[in-house]
Amino acid sequence: MNGQNQQNHSFIYTLTIYVIGFLLFCEWLLPLETITNTDDVTIFFIYAAFCFFVSFLQIQWWISMPLKLVGLIFIIDGLYIGERLFSRDWFSVVYDQLMFNIQVIQTQEWWQMTPLFRSVLFLVLLWLMSYLLFYWLVVAKRMLIFVVMTFIYVTVIDTFTIYDGKWAIVRTFILAMAALGLSSFAKEMDRESIPSSSFKRVHLWVIPLVGIILFSTVAAYASPKLSPQWPDPVPYLKSATGGSGPGGVGNVVQKVGYGENDSRLGGSFVQDNTPVFEAMADGDRYWRIESKDTYTGKGWEDTLSRPTTTVSASELEYPTFTDNVESEEQKAMIRMERGATFEKLVYPYGLSSLEATPENSRYNLHTETGEIDTLRGGSLAKINEFVVNYDYPSFEYGQLRQTGDNDPAEIREKYLQLPETLPSRVRNLASQIVEGEDNRYDKAKAVEQYFSSNGFEYSTTEVPVPSENQDYVDQFLFETQLGYCDNYSTSMVVLLRSEGIPARWVKGFTSGERIDSETPDYTDDVQNTYQVTSANAHSWVEVYFAGIGWVPFEPTQGFSNNTDFYSDVDTSTDDTETDEGAQTPEDNMGNPQQLEEETSSSDANAGGTSSFNFTWIYVGAGILAVSSLILYFTRFRWMSTMLIRRFKKEGNAENYERAYHFLLKLLAHKGFKRNPEQTLREYARSIDSHYQTNEMRQLTHHYERFVYRNDEHNVQWGKVSELWENLIKKALS
Amino acid sequence: MSQQTYLLQPKISEVMANINKVMIGKEEASLLSLVALLAKGHVLLEDVPGVGKTMLVKTLAKSMDCDFKRIQFTPDLLPSDVTGVSIYNPKDMEFEFRPGPILGNVVLADEINRTSPKTQSALLEGMEETSITVDGNTVPLSNPFFVMATQNPIEYEGTYPLPEAQLDRFLIKMKMGYPSAKQEMEMLNRTSGAHPIESIASVISRDELVELQREVEDVYVDHTVNRYIVDLITGTREHEGVYLGVSPRGSIALMKAAKAYAFIHDRDYVVPDDVQYLAPFVLSHRMILTSESRFEGTTAEEIVESLLSSTSIPVKRNISE
Repeated sequence: MNGQNQQNHSFIYTLTIYVIGFLLFCEWLLPLETITNTDDVTIFFIYAAFCFFVSFLQIQWWISMPLKLVGLIFIIDGLYIGERLFSRDWFSVVYDQLMFNIQVIQTQEWWQMTPLFRSVLFLVLLWLMSYLLFYWLVVAKRMLIFVVMTFIYVTVIDTFTIYDGKWAIVRTFILAMAALGLSSFAKEMDRESIPSSSFKRVHLWVIPLVGIILFSTVAAYASPKLSPQWPDPVPYLKSATGGSGPGGVGNVVQKVGYGENDSRLGGSFVQDNTPVFEAMADGDRYWRIESKDTYTGKGWEDTLSRPTTTVSASELEYPTFTDNVESEEQKAMIRMERGATFEKLVYPYGLSSLEATPENSRYNLHTETGEIDTLRGGSLAKINEFVVNYDYPSFEYGQLRQTGDNDPAEIREKYLQLPETLPSRVRNLASQIVEGEDNRYDKAKAVEQYFSSNGFEYSTTEVPVPSENQDYVDQFLFETQLGYCDNYSTSMVVLLRSEGIPARWVKGFTSGERIDSETPDYTDDVQNTYQVTSANAHSWVEVYFAGIGWVPFEPTQGFSNNTDFYSDVDTSTDDTETDEGAQTPEDNMGNPQQLEEETSSSDANAGGTSSFNFTWIYVGAGILAVSSLILYFTRFRWMSTMLIRRFKKEGNAENYERAYHFLLKLLAHKGFKRNPEQTLREYARSIDSHYQTNEMRQLTHHYERFVYRNDEHNVQWGKVSELWENLIKKALS
Repeated sequence: MSQQTYLLQPKISEVMANINKVMIGKEEASLLSLVALLAKGHVLLEDVPGVGKTMLVKTLAKSMDCDFKRIQFTPDLLPSDVTGVSIYNPKDMEFEFRPGPILGNVVLADEINRTSPKTQSALLEGMEETSITVDGNTVPLSNPFFVMATQNPIEYEGTYPLPEAQLDRFLIKMKMGYPSAKQEMEMLNRTSGAHPIESIASVISRDELVELQREVEDVYVDHTVNRYIVDLITGTREHEGVYLGVSPRGSIALMKAAKAYAFIHDRDYVVPDDVQYLAPFVLSHRMILTSESRFEGTTAEEIVESLLSSTSIPVKRNISE
């Protein structure tokens, strides 16, 4: 409890506690391998063990510090520096690294930090932790806080990342029980003044301790547990930390706009208004990037990224519909912004060629998906500005309704895929939705319309990631009904496929925000300028119609289809008009061939707009919670500092009474509670006999004069505050 | 609960030292007697004969330069034997008042329960008023005036127990008890030659004693402490083992005694410790227990102790908290 009893603890006890502390600390390091891109954490374990060991020796700081420093240098040298240790080159490498990283820090470009420097920082952190934990566990003997923090850490890591903390919790529990048991033994022995020699009668304390730990561990492990009250808190955090909707489970932080990977969809989506490109076009257009074909139950995989073909700008075409579709030749210009982090083409439907492209640019077209990698000089590169010629399609309702189910076998094979794990209720729902519709278009339309009512809600936040045994679409359709474009589009594709209608999932951007209109030099028409940002990333659906091709559908609530449809009621008279494609605001008709385009990597991770950013609320709440916890645990320390300051500033009766009673509270907290029937003198005597002093009596005498004599003018504040401070220090030590 | 660690008021300290020359192991009785004396109260001593009651009172009187009188109460004692009587002096052709023992400063009323209530009341009236009436004349009592009455607890045959209303005329009721073997041997050693009481001198004068009594009145009792006193007294009235609790006179007595006790410890204000220490001596003879609790063998002292250990002590100025 205080200094004089410290030597009472046997060495074995201190060592045990310390080792347990180290093992608990290892629980902090273990998840790093899983949740960060750290390849091997062994070296960190070793260094932590080394630092703990050196701390435990309790040698002078001028020995221990160099020791730890040498350890650090060895590790860094072994990991990162090829030069001979302490050679001239070695120093120059270290110097360069140092300078570079300092510069990086000054410019606040944290991500540029080199691995060497990051490792150094982390090792220094371990070093500091070894100090801190030594103080905590051995000097201050405060096990509980660390134990509680470890529990919180493991549970948080387990909940919000892919790290599986199941066994970590069990280990932590056992260690914590052992540590707390031991320290409570030690405290009891302090209090009862049991000589430490009896600590060596091992069986007396080891057997009950081990028994209790084993029993509670086994009981806790075996007993039934409630299912979580908050099944999936991950989306909360995702939305809070800026993760975009689709993406891997576990990776909390995701970028908005493009992600390479749609294999795990779900999670919230945060709006990011970074401009990606500026487009000039006749009207609102879908800016397509690619489609995906294979639904896994969790997200989308691309199995058709081959074949690819590399073509020049003028040869680049990618029609997704046949010549049977009316189309209008149009031009659009696209100017990529800095926010475009992908080397691929965004293009409107009916792409027929590119103009005004850099000379040596080539295009690698993935013929099936429509992904077009932009190449310059043979390697992937961004094309910053180009004009695209395209045939803007207009689909005629009658034509769409007349198509039958005679899809080519190739199409059926590729675009009717569904995972075996798809719950049957999804299929049932699909047939229920399309019931009564006799043609493909109306069926597709019915599915598209299904989402606009039936309780679906558009949201970019609080969208859960499906759990291990859950289907992404099933979760959205039947459980959450809450989501953004990925949920809607994926669900529509799956519903259509279950009804035998070939469909695919398309990614790209919506038309963006119209900011201007002007007449550019490459065309005579007045064109609108659109700014497209990461937040405009979107996904939608293409449905195959035999003889027509792929027709875009827009199931997402709050979004309108940028494709033109028209009704050719008076076919005979209106032929010419429809030929011009003037019936609807902006349509072009494309060629019914498939464009050959390739882009290697990116996907448009679609998402709508996030209504609210919770990041700061969560961060704030977290900080608040942590700091209030800290404040609570250290309340006696900071309160005493505060009181003594106030007391010195103004020694008056009120502060005196407060200070005295604070001391009583503190002593009660330390296990010396005053009975209400006990007079202050008696209490003071017992306190004094414990601390072997007479300060409490003196202080109490002064206080008595104040409280029972009503004599606050003769109190010697200076003397009183000194006594009080001494007692506080004694109690806190 | 002993407070020996705290210093005594210098003059009291001298008196105590003087008493200790004669009495062995009777510090508490001496101290309580002084409390009563300084608070202008009286003491009822309930003990067997021969434990040094007379010696204590005598020493007390001698240390403070007071007249010592002793009345041995017997069944045939008359009130006039206590108060004095007017006798016709044929020489002067007048009645002449011959003062009785009650007109001394320090009076030992031995075995007070062996005399008739009429005689008892002559003494008790004098204790309550500061004067007596003899043959229609009011005679003031001496100042200081201190009575130590004793009653024999084992002889009930032919006794007239003091009624409760009379008992609370005494500020303090105490027992002396036997000395320990070691103390008794020491006592034998001391008394083998001339009795030590012959050799002691007075350490303070009678006037100084009166001055001390006046100073005791100036001792401060804060409302926080009064609150504690009232809580205790109310406790006796609400206690289930008590038939009749302590009267308001008891509250005053406790406060007065506490003032004297604080003064003896050289303090000009009362602390709850004073009240705690004195409560058993001041309160236990002021309550009547129910026949059930008497049957169970509970004593009034035990009840007071239980109240002390269940009444919380005010430790803040704002006692409403």
